[in-house]
Amino acid sequence: MTNLIKKLPSEIKKNKLKTGIFLGLSAYWGIILAGTLIQFN
Amino acid sequence: MDVFLPIAEVSVNVLAIFSLSGIVGILSGLFGVGGGFLMTPFLIFLGVPPTYAVANEANNILATSVSGSTTHFLKDTLDYKMGLMIVAGGIFGTLFGIWTFTYFKGIGKIDIVISLAYMYILAIIGTAMLVEGLGEIDKARKKIFIKKKLHVHYWIHGLPLRMRFQKSKLYESVFTPIIIGLIVGFIAAIMGIGGAFILVPAMIYIIGMPTRLIPGTSLFVTIFISIIVTFLHAFNYGSIDLILVFMLITGSIVGVQCGQKFGESIDSSALKTLLAILLLLVGIAIAYDTFFAPETIAETIKIDVNNLNRLSMFIKRLSIEVPVLYGLFSIVVALILGVAAAFIRRYFSNLRKKYIKKTN
Repeated sequence: MTNLIKKLPSEIKKNKLKTGIFLGLSAYWGIILAGTLIQFN
Repeated sequence: MDVFLPIAEVSVNVLAIFSLSGIVGILSGLFGVGGGFLMTPFLIFLGVPPTYAVANEANNILATSVSGSTTHFLKDTLDYKMGLMIVAGGIFGTLFGIWTFTYFKGIGKIDIVISLAYMYILAIIGTAMLVEGLGEIDKARKKIFIKKKLHVHYWIHGLPLRMRFQKSKLYESVFTPIIIGLIVGFIAAIMGIGGAFILVPAMIYIIGMPTRLIPGTSLFVTIFISIIVTFLHAFNYGSIDLILVFMLITGSIVGVQCGQKFGESIDSSALKTLLAILLLLVGIAIAYDTFFAPETIAETIKIDVNNLNRLSMFIKRLSIEVPVLYGLFSIVVALILGVAAAFIRRYFSNLRKKYIKKTN
């Protein structure tokens, strides 16, 4: 686990596309979940 | 060029409807899905209220699935027994879906429920397809080949009342297709989709059907589900607009035939990734429309119903005075156009084969 955390910055640099897609999807899911909560409250 | 829809009571651009339904048809032909999950949001963006978009797209899906299913019937790539089991579950699922639709319509929340359902479905499918597509591209680039298991067993395979499905060469519980049909029918009734994008993976990974029987059987199930959805929407809410239905059917039938042709010569992994991106973009647009610009739908310009032309007035009166007949008529129109498209395609395909034979 610690090894994985140590390697994380270099992995992010190596896989820029994958990181971008991951961040984009996270943002999208965050927006729709937050929006749903706001709509029903 | 705008045309007024007498039932939905909005004006839409004819070219936009034709081109969008054509594009969605091409995508349907390429990926073997109905395309309802793309066309319904597009209709909503064009100003058609979500309640009407759902009902009319269900009618359009009926035509495209009849067209595709007839082609598979002629090729004998259809498992009726399995299809009818899924339909049995689908009937109850659709009825439950229409009941849920009525409930949310009653409390005035149906539009937001449809938008949210689309957002989540597009997000789930888009994410899954994007991850799978990118994974496949990555593996192909690194030349990694993983041997997959032939059949994975889930809890659903342990259910009782097993029966033999000769055509699919399976010995499975009747509850497996019934439960899948139930889920598909429910989603189809609320969202105005055929449910092929749920049905196809379920047939591959859960039921374990042979790949060659999947598109035909999936389309066969979709016919029954979309007939029920169309009829119930026409009868309960009078929301089927024949003018819109005719435009949608014409565009998508032509598109589907073109898409099936293109699909024969295109790399599927790259296409899957592109479709996933498109789905997510549509999802983002719906999210924007729902959360940040709700007034765009509410501000749609409505035209005075009393100033309609004869055809529009006739359609409007027919839907109000004889909803059962109107619902049946819209179903028959879709069936005729669908079967006609399949036979026209077969005719041209035979003509092409003859020509190739002659030239050789």
